[in-house]
Order: sequence, then C-alpha cells, then structure tokens
Amino acid sequence: MAGSMHMSRLRNWFLASPPVEFAITNLKELLIGALQQGPIPQHVAFVMDGNRRFARSHGIETVEGHNLGFEALARILEVCYKSGVKVVTIYAFSIENFKRSKFEVDALMEMAKVKLSQMAQHGDLLDRYGAKVRVLGRLDLLKPDVLAAVNRAVDLTSRNGDRVLNICFPYTSRDEITTAIRDTVEDYSKPIQNTRSAGAASRTPFSESHIAYNIRAQTLGSKTHDTTSDSESTSGSSAQDDDLPTRNDRANHVYESGSSFSSSTTLHHGGQQEPHKGSPQTAPTESDSPVYISPETISRQTLNDRMLTKGTPPLDILIRTSGVERLSDFMLWQTHENTEIVFLDVMWPEFDLWHFLPVMLGWQRRISKSRQDPDAEGNFAGDSPESSEEDLDTMLLRQSGKVKSI
Amino acid sequence: MVSRRDRDLLRDDLRQRGTKLSTADREQLLKTYLPNPAELPNRSRASTATSERRKTRKKPIRSFLKSQLHRLVYAVTHIIFGIVVRLLQAYHAVVNRIFAVVYHHHRTPELIRKDVRGLKRLPQHLSTILTLRKEDDALAVLMDEVAELAAWSSCAGIPQLSIYEKTGVLKSCLPALHQIITTKLASYYGTPSQQPSLQLYAPHHPVHGKPASPYSETGSLTILLLSSTDGRETLVDLTKTLAEMSQNGKLSPDDITPELVDAEISEITTQPLAADPAFSETMLKPEPDLLLVFGPFLKLDGYPPWQIRLTEMYCTGIRSHGLNGDGEAVEYQGYMRGLWHFAGAQMRFGR
Repeated sequence: MAGSMHMSRLRNWFLASPPVEFAITNLKELLIGALQQGPIPQHVAFVMDGNRRFARSHGIETVEGHNLGFEALARILEVCYKSGVKVVTIYAFSIENFKRSKFEVDALMEMAKVKLSQMAQHGDLLDRYGAKVRVLGRLDLLKPDVLAAVNRAVDLTSRNGDRVLNICFPYTSRDEITTAIRDTVEDYSKPIQNTRSAGAASRTPFSESHIAYNIRAQTLGSKTHDTTSDSESTSGSSAQDDDLPTRNDRANHVYESGSSFSSSTTLHHGGQQEPHKGSPQTAPTESDSPVYISPETISRQTLNDRMLTKGTPPLDILIRTSGVERLSDFMLWQTHENTEIVFLDVMWPEFDLWHFLPVMLGWQRRISKSRQDPDAEGNFAGDSPESSEEDLDTMLLRQSGKVKSI
Repeated sequence: MVSRRDRDLLRDDLRQRGTKLSTADREQLLKTYLPNPAELPNRSRASTATSERRKTRKKPIRSFLKSQLHRLVYAVTHIIFGIVVRLLQAYHAVVNRIFAVVYHHHRTPELIRKDVRGLKRLPQHLSTILTLRKEDDALAVLMDEVAELAAWSSCAGIPQLSIYEKTGVLKSCLPALHQIITTKLASYYGTPSQQPSLQLYAPHHPVHGKPASPYSETGSLTILLLSSTDGRETLVDLTKTLAEMSQNGKLSPDDITPELVDAEISEITTQPLAADPAFSETMLKPEPDLLLVFGPFLKLDGYPPWQIRLTEMYCTGIRSHGLNGDGEAVEYQGYMRGLWHFAGAQMRFGR
C-alpha cells in the first residue's frame, strides 16, 4: 500500500513537471485535431457516474468527489467541443437523487449554484466562446435560489453559438416521456379557436364539405334549400388540406347565415363576399360542440417535438462510466434507436481523453465503414447518421486520395 | 490541459464557495486556456476589422502543414486502432472458440443447469435483441435461434424470455414458431411429460400453448415477442387514446402521471396473459432484468424504450461477421457469458 502511494506520488510529480505537461497538452491537441479529420458525432451524452465511489475508494469526502467530477466534465467538454461535437447532454441529477442524504443533495445544489453563477459573472467571455446552456428537467423541484441561478445562466447563454450543453438537472426519462404525452394531450384538447375553418384535419383524405360541394355543383341549376344537414357534418370534421375546401366551408357558412341568397351565387362569390361577412361567419362554429384536432394526427414526431431535447440532432453516442451497465432512466426515448451505448469501467473523475478516444475511433471506424459500403454489415445497413457536409467532404477527399494511390 | 498550479487555485476557490477569487482573477486564470479569438470559425464580432487583418496575416503554409499533420495523425491512429481491433477480435475469437468447446450444452438440461449453478442471481426476465438477416432462409434461422434461446432459458431456470426483432416477422408466424420451439424442447428434454409448459405470445395476439399447472415440477417458460411497433408506436397510440379521452372530457391532462403511463404500457405486454383466465396465474414482469445483445456493439435498434429503465445490458462483443458469411450470432457461450456477467462473476476455462 505504502509503496503504491509512493509510486503514485512519483508519477504525479512526473506528470506535473512542466516539460511533460507541455508535451501531453500538445499531444492532446494533436489528437483532437486528428479526430476532426473524420466523421464526428453530432450529439454525445454522458452519465457521470462514479463520483461517490471514487471518493470512497480514494478516502476523500463525497463532496470532493463531485468537485473532481466537475473538473472531469470541464475536461471532456473541452475535448468534445474542440473536436466538433455540437451537442453534449449530461446527466447531472436524477429526480431519484433527491432521496439521497440531505447533506449531499444540498452540497450538490450548492455546487450547481456556484458554478452557474460563476458562469453568469463571465458573461462576455461566454459570449465569445461559450456554448448555449440548457437545463432539462423538472425545474419546479428546485429551490428558488438554485432556480434563479439556472435561469440566469440559461438566459445569459441563450444567444450563444451553435454548441449546446444540455444539463439534465432533476431529470428522469420516464418523467420526460410522461410530460411529453401530457403536453400533447393538453395541446390536442384545446378547442380550435380560429374561425378560418371548423375543423383542422380530417380522418379521411376526402373532406365531406368538398363532396357536398361537388354534388351541389352537379345539380347547379336547381335550387338547394336544405343545406343544414351539410353544414352540420361540415363543422364536425373538415379539412385544412388545401385552400379549396376551406373556402367552400366558409361559403357554406356564409350561405347559411345569409339565407336569402341562392346557392349558386353564394358558391361562386363566396370568396369575394367573405370580407364583409366576417361576423356572422363565426357564429356557427361557436354554437356547435367544440372542435378539436383529430388525435390521429399525433405521430412520433409530435412526441419528439415535445421531448426536452427537441431541436437537437439525434443522439449518436451515450457513455456511462463506472461500469454500471444500465441507463438508469436517462434518455430512454432518445437512445433506443440508433445510439451507440458504451459502458466504461472507469470512475467519472478519472475520465479523460484517453478513455474517450477509443470510443470515438470505434465510432468513426464504424461510420466510415458503413458509409463506404452500406451492405457490408447487416446490423447497421443504411442507417448511418446524418453527416455534416464537411464530413462528407473529408470522406470524399480520402476516397479520392485512395483512388489516386491505387 | 490545465496546469497543476492553476488547478489547485481553482479547487481552493471552489472549496471557499467561489469567494476566494474575484471575477477578474478567474478570467485571468482562464485566459491561457481559451482559444485565440481569431481562430474561432465564422464568428462575426464587433472587432471584425482587426481580426480580419490578422486572418490575412496568418501563415498559410503553417496552417496547411498543420492540417496535413492532422490528416496524417488521423490516418495513423486509425491504422493502429484498426490493428488493435483486429488483434482483439482474433483474441476474442480464440477465447470464444475455447469457451464454445468447454461450455457446450450438448442438448442436456443437466449440463446447462450445472453451468448456472454457482451464480448468485439469475434474471427473472431475460430479453434479447435478434436481427433478421438477409439470406433466403433468414426466417428459419431466426426461428431456430429463438427456439435455442427458449431451450437454454428453460434449462437455466429463467421463467420469462422476451425476444425483440425489429421487423416483427416472428409475430406473423406464432403457431409455426410454437411448433418449432416445442420440437426443440423435446430434443433437449425428451418426452413431453418432462418438458416445461410453454406459453408464446405477442402484444395484441392470443397466447399459444397450455398454461402451467401449479404442481408441475418441470417449470414453465413464457416467451414474449416484441417488435419496433411496441416501442415508440405504442407510446404514440397511448397518446392518441389519451388525447381522445381528454377531448371528450373523460380525463384531465393532469391525470397523466408516470404511474398511469407505466400501468398502461405494462398492460400491453401482460394483457394477453391476463385476458385468458387459464393464464392469469402466469404474471410477466414487464421490465426485463437483463438485455442480451448479440452483436458487435450495443445498439437498441428500436427496442421499447419505456421498459428498459433499469435493465442491465450486455453485449456479446466483438464478432467478426465477415469470417463465415452470416456468422452464427446466437451462441451458447455468449448467452452464458451474459448470465455470468449479470451475476457479477467471471467465466473461466474449465467447468
């Protein structure tokens, strides 16, 4: 034990000596620059696990372990952003973590507050270099002072460049999915207020009003008196597909309100008459039962747009440290399709470029391979993530170089 | 990389809750680590004029050399990495062969039982991701894999098995699959009286097989088939139903809680069992304990997201697909390694 302590001190002294430090820094720069030559994942997520275990195994306080974890985060963020990763998502605090000891929770909150308010002090620096900070999760569970710091940091960085740091603060994925469902339901149970048309989307590709219009157009010569049944069905469900049915719809309402017109003239002049017939037009929609968007229009995209990660590229790599091999309620919705999940047997405070590099190289290798011939490996045929144009350019460059060398 | 002195300064500052250093101090400290503003890509700033001049003054030869160097290093690291990966692949291939020889089931339930005897824990619900290959007999191969997995699981004493296959082709041939699994079980166990009772079903499909009698000693095996439609699509369907209910005033959006969603989603996978009174005894645990991925790396490929919150995942690891065409992905030794890993044990040569 004493011998290993001695050795590690010697090693630390060696690594901290200026020439070695300089060499390592330059080597890292070189490797990051080299990484940039290949495809780069657009979105990487980290589960920062192992701070507590690291602290326990090194005989330091838990809080100190979290501090070291924060340093590791800063290190890895530097690597990510320098090599061209657009979005980094980190799992900072789970809703479940509120169950931990009050001392630890308070210390974590304090740390978050200090870090976030420090960030706010460096406003102009962040403007120049910084990434956008977004905090995902149940902000309502935070204490007011922490929440204030969060809001300040988010506001301050909201106008920053295209790099994004997502901090999942009190977050669980199930909560996120549930919230997305709830928001969708809420949005869909608001009656449609606007008077442009009675309904929004029809269940069928054909709109009833349009059919009614066609039938009427065929029997144009004769006068149609009983259009009440038509208008009832129209207000129930009609289409927003194109302009035509909507205008017919309007025409129907106009016709209904101004009943003295003959149907043929109303249909033809509906569009022109509409402006000065504005007020009676709204009447039928309001008197009917409220009209909603059809739930059938809900799709994966609808839910996707209500996830907390909306607007970010799909998750390419998820890394969890400390050798625990489960997701623990993190990014379930985002990871379950094309994300490569990597479990590393290293504590988060020790995590560095040296652990990250093999993951990146493996990913680059796989992506370039699957791009070169998509049929080669059945597992990921054809679903290589979208690449930015510069990636494609470098790919092309390398390929042409190969051809030349042949 | 942050030098040691600066790091210690910052750590001290943090311990004092950020009171020790002033804002200016910290900025001074950070300055050396920040990239040169002129090198930042396409950012327009107020001081564009000066930086523009600096840009033109930048040495083109040096930056060209730098990019060439990066390109070279990229190529070299990838070559080295490729060699390392190949070596590891070869090593694992050899190890796997040895394991495959040492740990072979020989279609004897006793041997399989012996392999898992020392394990501290076994998954109650095991899940695997299988892929349909591209050959003509892909479906037959896939069904055989399912049957093998079923046989191993029942021998090892795992009562629940769920099989995820993206396209859902298995769901369309439930009776045939049931037949194949029964045949496979017969080849392991012998006479039907010794076979475990088998239930095979998929969400929205009826249960195939006979219920387990509570007094039988042979145990039972429940197999659930999943496909990509049971993932996001199911959540979308749930949202649709909830939205419709809300529109009709039967439900308030505030009623939607994780518990409600959990109950509904779990219902999807357990419903066919519960609907049939004969199977009401058999309860399926909706969340798998262990997810085995037979493939070179861990990708969920559309696996239902809701259920895998706490599922442990194990990937059988580096496999060379190229060596013998399709490559028999589902192997007994990989399966065993997954179980051993789950129990926190190391597999050794020799039983």
